[in-house]
This record gives sequence, structure tokens and C-alpha cells, in this order.
Amino acid sequence: MGQDLLPPLLSAPGVETWAFYILTTLSICLAIAVLADRVVIRSGFILIGVFGTISGIFLLLSAQFLALAQIMIYAVGITLMVVIALMLTNPRLEREQAVVYYDESLPPLAKIFASCKRNLSLWVSVLSFVTLYSALIGENHWPLSDQAVSPDAVKVLGEALVTNYSIPFEFSSVLLLAALMGAVMLAKGESKNRDDDNVAIVDEAKKQENNLALQR
Amino acid sequence: MFANGDEIFKISRLTLAWLTIIFTIVWMVCWGVGIGLPMLLSQQLGDQANLANEILRAVTPVIAILVFIPINAMFMVLIERRALALWTVRKGPNRVGPDGNLQTAADAVKLLLKEDITPTGADAAMHTFAPILFFAPSIIGAVPLLAAVTNDHPLFHILNLPTGIFYVLAAGALPVVALVMAGWASNNKYSLVGGLRSAAQAISYEIPLVLSLVTVCLMAGTLDLVKIAQQQAGGILNWNLLGGGALVGLNQALGGGGAKALEAAYPMGPVSYICAGLLVCSLIISFWLYLTGACAEINRIPFDLPEAESELVSGYNTEYSGMKFAIFFLAEFTNLFVVASVTTVMFLGGGDNPIPPYILDKIPGIPQMVAAIRDSFFCQTLHIINPETLFATLWVIAKVYGLVIFAILIRATLPRFRIDQLMAFGWKRLIPLSLIVFIIVVFAREFVNIHG
Repeated sequence: MGQDLLPPLLSAPGVETWAFYILTTLSICLAIAVLADRVVIRSGFILIGVFGTISGIFLLLSAQFLALAQIMIYAVGITLMVVIALMLTNPRLEREQAVVYYDESLPPLAKIFASCKRNLSLWVSVLSFVTLYSALIGENHWPLSDQAVSPDAVKVLGEALVTNYSIPFEFSSVLLLAALMGAVMLAKGESKNRDDDNVAIVDEAKKQENNLALQR
Repeated sequence: MFANGDEIFKISRLTLAWLTIIFTIVWMVCWGVGIGLPMLLSQQLGDQANLANEILRAVTPVIAILVFIPINAMFMVLIERRALALWTVRKGPNRVGPDGNLQTAADAVKLLLKEDITPTGADAAMHTFAPILFFAPSIIGAVPLLAAVTNDHPLFHILNLPTGIFYVLAAGALPVVALVMAGWASNNKYSLVGGLRSAAQAISYEIPLVLSLVTVCLMAGTLDLVKIAQQQAGGILNWNLLGGGALVGLNQALGGGGAKALEAAYPMGPVSYICAGLLVCSLIISFWLYLTGACAEINRIPFDLPEAESELVSGYNTEYSGMKFAIFFLAEFTNLFVVASVTTVMFLGGGDNPIPPYILDKIPGIPQMVAAIRDSFFCQTLHIINPETLFATLWVIAKVYGLVIFAILIRATLPRFRIDQLMAFGWKRLIPLSLIVFIIVVFAREFVNIHG
């Protein structure tokens, strides 16, 4: 596994702690950048960096498979989808709309609502932070296992998925399948209509061409 | 015999000479950093040098790859141009140096000296970052392959990950992001369309690609690249291409096991034989699925829609020049090499000899030759040659460059897909086919005793 060469370098005191602090600082900075950036697509790309640093934290916890899955699914697949969806909804308008006019004449309650609406992402992040923090504080300690991490972690993971956690696993697959079928149905309905229109237009054009040929 | 025998001779000569140069240089660097320098240090300093030696050994694989990639890309560009010229009956590069063989060196100098332009209105930071993000994963992805292709050489043993193939796939997924980024940051409609096309294409073709590799991993029972490569040792019948271990029993029977080995490997009689046949067919289909998906993943013709010259100028790299363009170019050829190595390790037996040992040992001279190499001064004292690695590596080189030449032949032969044909081919043909193959393998492997 390569562990016989690395330990003297990695097991030096504090290396793991330092790596953890560097990764968390990076990921928090990048997360703030995601919120602060005015260009939506750029913040989408910065999100990849956030997911990358989180997968680094998974690596520190010796969850290799999870770290790689994080990169493959979140950092690439989902972020790419988000970015493309943003591109298709013309994000360059966003930069021009950055200036928000503040209306003084509103009543106080409406002013509070307006400010909440403007800073929606801020409030969502504050709320989720408070929720997470209280959850962490409320449970004084997390159960720590003293078992060593198995070198064949993928096997353990696979066995857990098809024995202890098979029902959640199956439910999530059914959910994904339903989403897939829904997407197919939506796409199919739309394209059929358009095809009919096209056929009608082509027929019309052919008719006109025939008429022209007849006139000659 | 051939009308263009002269050209074929020239290309073969060029290939052999270049490959010898490349791998001699890379191995000398590796040996120097990983074995020679530590030996010298321990002689001079004794135990004090231990930490330095460990650091040196740890950085050897990285240095090996960093030395290898640029010279390999130079060679691959040259061989691609010459081979394309051969197959499309043209002259190819013939001005710079003898036979035009210094053409890529001249190109490299030209690209390094060119002005680096950032277009007006482009997002400068992301315009710069995209080539980096495109190039880095191809190095990162190549790293765990080193242990697998050298038959677990002690110098590269450090790179052997338990999740090897998944790591390579995760690294291979990242360049798509870079292409979309490059397309968007260029502030050019052609680039943007190229980037979007590459994303659509990569997402569609990643599914059959991963499913075909999952089929192989299912047969092997592990994700570890070195284990997968070593499982296939012992002749062409053991390779994953032919049934992923379903023919191991046949191989043992031919090698002297007789009817007993057949009985042990195929316990259900005729049902097992039919299932073994099904496995062989499925794995061969998987191999072609992987090659197709990989071709689309690394944007080679017939799937090079993201940079289709006739439609999009040059696609995502229209606005790139100088060093940044050179990095895109370098990464493309490195990706081709990585894909060929993955195919070699996963399907073509890694460093295994296609002739099984029970035939090889009967050929006069070969066992004596191996023994002579094993006892020589280079091997025993200087550790320059490791006999277990030497032959494995030679076979890997032959297989990998064979696949590279095959990819070039495909490029010379097939026209480009249209975007709707590409999508229909991916979603309506390849994905159902890969799922069917997967299901067949899941059931058929229960009736055959795989890998002994």
C-alpha cells in the first residue's frame, strides 16, 4: 500500500494537524469566495475548489474511496451541471444587475424583508452554520471507534452497502431512476411537438415549391 | 513488397530509436535519484543520510513522470504526423533535420517563444488557470499506473493505491471542467460552444467507459491496479481481454493440469463452458466499449467535436497561444498515453508475455538468457536492471505504443461524428450495450471458477 516508505515522513508530529488546518482554511476561504464573487459562473468554478479541499479532508481521515467519489461526483459531475445550467440562463446579465436600488420610502417591516431578500445567501449560510454548530455542541462527544482502518476499505464499504444499509441504498437508486425517467419524459414531450411543427413547415415548403414548379 | 516500404522502414526505425532514447533517459534519471544517489550518500554519510534517502525515493516517481511527459509528447506528435502522412499518402514533415525528424523540437521552440495573448474581455485568471487544470490531472492520473506497468518495482511500490483504478478515473474526469472553463473564459462564442460540447460528450461517454471498467473489476475482485496486472500473468489466455480469467482453467489444462484442472475451473460441465464463452464475448465487447469511451473522453477523432476545425475554428483553444496552447497540446498527448496504459493494464495483461511459460521454457536459449541477465554485474551490484521489471516493461512499452499507433490509424481512417449522431450513438447504443454486458457478466461468473 505504500505505507512502508511514507510513515517516517508523514508521522512526524503535527504534520496531519497542519494539513488539516491548511485544508480547512483553504476551503473556508474558497467558500466565502463562492458567495462573494459577483460573476456566477466563476463562483461555480470556485465551488470545485471547495469540493476538492473537502475531499482532501476525507483523505486525511483515511477514507480514500469517499475522497475520490467526492471529486468524481461533486467536484466534476454536479458542479459541471450547475455551471452549464447557469450558462444556458445567460449569466452575463448578472454583472450588470449588480447595483441594487435601495428604496427609502418603504415601511420598516418591508425594509427588513427587502434586506433579507437581498442577503439571502448570507442568511442561509448563517442559519446552516448555527444549526450545525448547535448540533456539534449538543452532542458532547462523537462515538470513536478504536478499530484500525482496514486496508481493503472498498470491500468493507461494499459489504456494508449490500447488507446493513441495503434498504437506504435501494431507495436512493429508485429515487434516481424516477428522476431519470422524469427527465426522459419531459425531454420526449417537448421534442415531439417541435418535430410536428417542423414536419408541418417542411410540408408547407414542399407544397409551395410544387406550386412554383407547376406555375412554370 | 509494399509500395511504400521505404516509408514504413523509416517510421519503424524512428520509433525504435526514439523509444530507446526516451526510456533510457527516464530510467537513468530514476536510477540516479532513487538508487544511485542514495547508495552514494549512505557510503559517504552512513546512517545520517536515511531521511534524505527516503525523501529522494519518495520523489523518484514524480521526477520520472515529469521527465517522461515532455519527451514522450514530442515523440508522439512526430510519430502521429508521420503515420498520418503514410496512411493518407502524403509526405509528412520533411524539412527540419534529417528526414524532418527535428520538426517537433522546432515546434516546441516556436511555441515557447510565441507571445502569450489574453483576449479583451476575457476572464484573465480563469483563462490562465484552465490549461493548468487540464494538464495537472493527466500527471496525477499517470502516477499510480507506474507501479502497475513496472510489475511493482520497489522504487514505484509507494504509488500502489488500494483504490487504483478509481483514482485514475477520478483524475480523468477533471479535464472536462478545464475545457468548459477555457471555453467560457475566452470570451468567444466558438470557444464556449466547444467547451459545452466537450462537457456533453464527456458526461455521455463516461458511463459506458466506467461500466466497462467495472465489469473488469468485478471479474478481478479488486480495484488495485497492481493486483489486476499480476492476476493476468501466464500467457494470453489469462488476460482480461479473453474472459477476465474465465480461461485460466483452460490455460492450466494446456500447461499440464489435464482434465483435473478443467474439472476444477468449470465445475458445472457444459453450463460452465457456455458461461465461459459468454464471458469471453462480454469482455471483448467491454474492451471495445472502453476504447470508444476513452477516445471520446480525450477528444480524439472521430470524437473531436470540441475542437472541430471545420465548424468551430479550433473550439475551446481558439483564443490560446504560446505556452498555454502548448500545455493543452502536451496534455492531449499525455492523456492518449495514459488511456493506452490503462487499457494495457486492465485488458491486455499489463507486463505479461502473451506466450505462456510452458511454451516459453521449451524454446532453447530463453531461460539461459534470463539467467545470464539475472547474474550480471548491472543487476547484482548496481541494480540498474531488475529482471522482473525489465521484461514486463518491454512488453508494456510494446502494447502501449501499439495502442497509440492504433488510435492514430483510427484518426487516419474515420470521419468526424455530427453532434446528434454522437449523442444518439452514446445514449442509444453504447450505454444499453454496456449495461447488458454488465448483467451477463454478473450472472455468468457464478458458474465459472475464476482465477483458480
